[in-house]
Amino acid sequence: MAKIQKGKQNREAFIPTSSMSDIAFLLLLFFMVSTVFVQEKKFWVERDRWPRADTIERIPRNNTTTIYVMKDETILIDDVPTKIESEEDVMITNALIAKKDENPEIVVCFRTDRETKYGAMSDVMRQLQDAETLVVAFEAQKQH
Amino acid sequence: MKVGRKRKGKAEIPTASMSDIAFLLIVFFMATTKFDVKEGIKIVLPAAAPEGSQKAETIQLGEDKMTRLQIEADGTIAVNKEAPREIENHELDNIIMKKLQDNNDMIFKVITDRDAEYSQMIRVVDRLKSQRAEKISLSTN
Repeated sequence: MAKIQKGKQNREAFIPTSSMSDIAFLLLLFFMVSTVFVQEKKFWVERDRWPRADTIERIPRNNTTTIYVMKDETILIDDVPTKIESEEDVMITNALIAKKDENPEIVVCFRTDRETKYGAMSDVMRQLQDAETLVVAFEAQKQH
Repeated sequence: MKVGRKRKGKAEIPTASMSDIAFLLIVFFMATTKFDVKEGIKIVLPAAAPEGSQKAETIQLGEDKMTRLQIEADGTIAVNKEAPREIENHELDNIIMKKLQDNNDMIFKVITDRDAEYSQMIRVVDRLKSQRAEKISLSTN
């Protein structure tokens, strides 16, 4: 009679963890390579200086260009600070016409200090109309 | 006398905690990263009058079709021909709601003084958006 073998001896189950550190470092490298740091600029509007609102919506980044308007009415477009002194000053219009040629769906985002006088904003918006970039977004932070 | 030679142990760097360090670093990066998200109030501006043309055609609209919200330099708001006064958010909501009940296609013209704070304009536009007013016009005096 054949000898009936008893159940095989149970081996200890184990998960190989030797490559765990490789995976972790790969992830770390991915984060480090893909992170883009925002450079500290002289002209900048901190998030806590934005106006507050309830009805904010997310704006996809791919079609946007940002115009910063500081409290002292300095306007920053493409990292170039400027001020609108007169109606003949069309620097913003020209910059936006060039952007619109590249991307007709462009949305102009305003990152404006909440204490800026509306006159400065109005001057910029007039230039936007001249450049026919009519879709704008006023960046704001959610009201608590 | 027998001189015993010590056997040299194999040099080794312990790597068992390497993954812990790496994961800690990842957690640190994930916790401290702030994404630059764009959030705000979206509006479509009216097109400028074509060059060479005389002034754009003027259409007179009565109060039943258009509501003027004039923001003064001190932040007070004048609704249509009323005297400017301080209006809180909930009161502004009620005014807008009532206007929209009277006419669902009501046009809201927000006229902001050049010396008024930008946040005042945003506050009014925000209230208009919250009441689902769709026809909003921005201008200044």
